[in-house]
Amino acid sequence: MIQSKQIRKSQLVLVVDDMEINRDVLGIILEDQYEVIFAADGEEALQKIYQYQHCLSVVLLDLIMPKMNGFEVLEHIRNDDSLQYLPVIVLTAEKSAELRALQMGAADFITKPFDVHEVILARVARIIELSEGRQLISAAEHDKLTMLYTRNFFFEYANRIQHFQQARMDAVVLNIEQFHSVNALNGYEFGDEVLRTLGDEIRAFLQETDGIASRFEADRFDIYCAHQGDYQAMLNRFQNALNKLSHKSSIRLRMGVCLWAEGVDPVLMFDQANAACSKVRGDYMRHLMVYDEQLREHELLDQRLLNDLQRAVDERQLQVYYQPKYDVTGERPRLSSAEALIRWNHPELGMIPPGTFIPLFESNGQIGVIDKFVWNEAARQLSEWHARYDIDLSVSVNLSRVDLFDPVLESTLSSLVESNGLEHMNLKLEVTESAYTENSDYVIETVNRLRDMGFEIEMDDFGSGYSSLNMLSAMPIDVLKMDMKFIRNIEHSEKDLRLAELVLDIARYLKVPVVAEGVETEGQLQLLRDAGCDIIQGYFFSPPLPADKFEELIKRELNRA
Amino acid sequence: MTISELYASIDGDYEQAKRVLRMDRLIDKHIRRFKSAGVGEQIVAAGRAMDAQALFESAHAMKGVCGNLGLVKLAAAANEITEEFRPGHARTMSDDEVREMIAGVETLYRNAIEGIERYEAQA
Repeated sequence: MIQSKQIRKSQLVLVVDDMEINRDVLGIILEDQYEVIFAADGEEALQKIYQYQHCLSVVLLDLIMPKMNGFEVLEHIRNDDSLQYLPVIVLTAEKSAELRALQMGAADFITKPFDVHEVILARVARIIELSEGRQLISAAEHDKLTMLYTRNFFFEYANRIQHFQQARMDAVVLNIEQFHSVNALNGYEFGDEVLRTLGDEIRAFLQETDGIASRFEADRFDIYCAHQGDYQAMLNRFQNALNKLSHKSSIRLRMGVCLWAEGVDPVLMFDQANAACSKVRGDYMRHLMVYDEQLREHELLDQRLLNDLQRAVDERQLQVYYQPKYDVTGERPRLSSAEALIRWNHPELGMIPPGTFIPLFESNGQIGVIDKFVWNEAARQLSEWHARYDIDLSVSVNLSRVDLFDPVLESTLSSLVESNGLEHMNLKLEVTESAYTENSDYVIETVNRLRDMGFEIEMDDFGSGYSSLNMLSAMPIDVLKMDMKFIRNIEHSEKDLRLAELVLDIARYLKVPVVAEGVETEGQLQLLRDAGCDIIQGYFFSPPLPADKFEELIKRELNRA
Repeated sequence: MTISELYASIDGDYEQAKRVLRMDRLIDKHIRRFKSAGVGEQIVAAGRAMDAQALFESAHAMKGVCGNLGLVKLAAAANEITEEFRPGHARTMSDDEVREMIAGVETLYRNAIEGIERYEAQA
């Protein structure tokens, strides 16, 4: 190791000897390269060891001393875990004492008299270097909070277990549901206590069964263990340990398991266990999942869709469909606008339902790619229809949460509108209610700026989120879109009908029109109309249509007019 | 009297002291302190009482100090007593032989102390 004298000087050496001459000699030897402190007997030595515990590099310890001899000091150090990394070099002239001291944990010995200074210096330097190396390795090997392995060491050891012991081990991933909320509600100290408790219980578990464990990151724990007959019991054990921690906070664990399979290495096993664990995220009924073939196929499909997205954009496999919205405030329903919806016609997988790929792209942030494709396509198409039919038609497009944090969102939308010769109000922007829930001040500011530019804002899926009425009045919206789950049963459920009417009352209070989506029957239409709903979207009027079919619908509407 | 002349007069190994303490200043400090530390008196008292533990501790202390100070004959004699009375070791000498050895140590010690006193007086 290359080390300058300046750096060495910051290392602290404790010299313990009852004879002043020995302390003086060692002081002379060491003082040029180290900070040196002294103790004249074992008791004083222990007091200084604890006083300087975190900065002591080495102790030079005489064995024969009054009050407390060197062996007693060594014994004390050996029995205190907090001193396990403190190296001790014994000072002795006796061969038999050397052996006993080494057996008691001494790192080395220096024989008296101290006549060859260079040898003493070299021994002290070597022991400090070895000890610091050991501490560095240990710090890198173990997570400080839980004392479980860190990720890299864990996988190194897991690989060794697999290759050299050929053991049949399963991979288990544990995760704490909404851990950031646990921290936010109870403070980071409590969060650390939760992690420590879980680490303790995992270590206790591993005393009863073969295996190793790691705190992989934050609140994720990986356990590589012998097959367990009942993984639910294993999860219950860890859950119970957390339940005992505090009654004021409900902490829920989830677990993913990948069972041993021939030829699958630990890294892949833990990827799969983690995928299973992620699958039960937010599921309040199910907290354990074992990775299986179905999940594997689902994962493969997700990966394929992620890989194919850019090609889908480039090769125009993505298509925009338009679902009409009808104004029902007059005697006869009138085509007022349309919602642009994405469809993916995959060359090998066929037509992929948006429910398959939209949540996937939302979760990894790529939804912005799809949104921009839809905005461009819808603006271009609308411009074409305006030119061709001279009609007052607007199209609404989705704005995902990730779009709202795009620093160039406003200029992108503005130039899109201008380059297609449209008015801002022709492009309505649908923002889901849930987009307002986190960082709501920022979202509200962004949406306000878009409104100021002339865009109309529709709050999508209203009623599916958790907006308070108080917050609702602060949200900048021009139209409410009632969540379709309110509509589905209004013909058969009095309660659902009342809820739909309540949403309409709220909209009246906010003085904004309401779009009811998912309307499929005349009965639903009638009830909503009677309750004062303004605009209807749904299969009752039309399913989403490709552009050419929607154009035919426009023509029909114009002919009817 | 110089420090090296002192060593010559008491049959000490000045070069050994120099190897350990490096500086005459420190040799001077500890040779003076040797006189006042009373390690010789302690070993003689322990020998009179034939107190094994006290003999071991005082001989061990003398061996250490004398080894560093280059008082090699004293250090060698103290080493023999140390090993004779090391806890857990079987005795090999009779009490009379020990007394004889302590008498030899006392002579060497007195000789060293007288030399140091001369050195202090002439320094």
